Amino acid sequence: MSELGYYQVEGITLRETPAREACFKVVYRDADAMEFGNMSEIARREMIHRHMTNEMTSVEMAAACVAEFPDAPWELRMELARQAYDEARHVQVLYRRLKELGGHKGEFPISTLEWNMTCAVDNLPGRIAIQNRTLEAGAMDVMGGLSLVLRKVGDPDTADILDGINNDEVSHVRFANRWIKRLAQQDRRVLMKMASAIRFLQDANSKFQIKEGGEVNAVGVALASPENRIPAVNVEHRKLAEFTDEEINEILRQAGYRTIVSAEAGA
Amino acid sequence: MRKITRVDERCRNVATFRHVCVQLMETTARWTPTTPEMEAKVMFGRHIWDFAQMADALGKRTFELRQPEHYTLRPVDAYDALLKEAAAAESTAERIATIYDGVLPGFIERCRAYVAATDAILDEPSITIIERMIREMERQRKEAAELQSELKLGKGNAAAIAARERTIGNIVAEGVQA
Repeated sequence: MSELGYYQVEGITLRETPAREACFKVVYRDADAMEFGNMSEIARREMIHRHMTNEMTSVEMAAACVAEFPDAPWELRMELARQAYDEARHVQVLYRRLKELGGHKGEFPISTLEWNMTCAVDNLPGRIAIQNRTLEAGAMDVMGGLSLVLRKVGDPDTADILDGINNDEVSHVRFANRWIKRLAQQDRRVLMKMASAIRFLQDANSKFQIKEGGEVNAVGVALASPENRIPAVNVEHRKLAEFTDEEINEILRQAGYRTIVSAEAGA
Repeated sequence: MRKITRVDERCRNVATFRHVCVQLMETTARWTPTTPEMEAKVMFGRHIWDFAQMADALGKRTFELRQPEHYTLRPVDAYDALLKEAAAAESTAERIATIYDGVLPGFIERCRAYVAATDAILDEPSITIIERMIREMERQRKEAAELQSELKLGKGNAAAIAARERTIGNIVAEGVQA
């Protein structure tokens, strides 16, 4: 396969799915996935498998930025190359843990939706606004709490891995925040590109998200629609990633101040 | 290789090596989403960063050699064509064999030849960078060989690429910035 094109979903243009081995079944909606919603052995394997394959998508997104924007500032390309390396290590460490728990590649359905949406955007500020500043920052919010739960159920090894990964993700979010500010200072149109990319992400996401009133996933777990979910916000890590106080307050306001995960909680 | 005695000549070599490293970084980056095997994606993801660091160190050295930072020179046409042809490989086996068995052995030799030809004291900063690159590329080749064995991948037309690489003389072209 030499190049990945584009396809349409309900009027939205998405990037074609990256190459996957035959053992993987790719799904595009959480309703088709197998998130068990508890911390049983199979649920933890599914969680690790999901993170592993999401990290695989992250390697691909960072790599695509390196390949597709040759005129970007060299220092930014270096950050993206480093990110590809970090995400590759994350895949490896999660795969090692998955095998330790008796799991294997392709054991559960996977998603590539983050790639399909992010890599449909044709400019680099838009891509890092989506991948790093939004999706990775969101993962950063969730991982602190997840590590805490894993420790409580007696799986400190997986918790340590997620903590280590989260440490790297903070760096990825931070460099995106720094570069977006720097690029916007040089050219105000960067802010428009960023806003447009985030609007695109919301539109694209809406085509795949859980329907109003909720749905049941592939293993019978009830999934709440987005408006009924309680999002986590990891204030300490967002500060480390150099979100401003104003930005953090806005995220907390959007989350309704319902969940605040401190760095200590994730440690 | 004849002795390299002039600063501008050293810089042209370093800038050409930089071009090759950037090309290798971009090629492995382009292949990452379009190669199915997870283990291959992981290796490419790691090597993107290796090549980026090589290009970065060489680019800082060009500034010390009286040119702008990250000054880059496209190699002679024959070598440029070889890199482009390598980048067009399609299957996982062809991709890995083409870069790690076809292109890198010759590039490593060119790096060694430069180290032997330049002044060991005057150009020691370049030598330090290039010797580190050689060690890294040898490690990369070892990792690729392990992956070929694990995934039972053939060597494709690597021998032909390597043979063609050997027919190309000096890869440093006169003047044109990439």
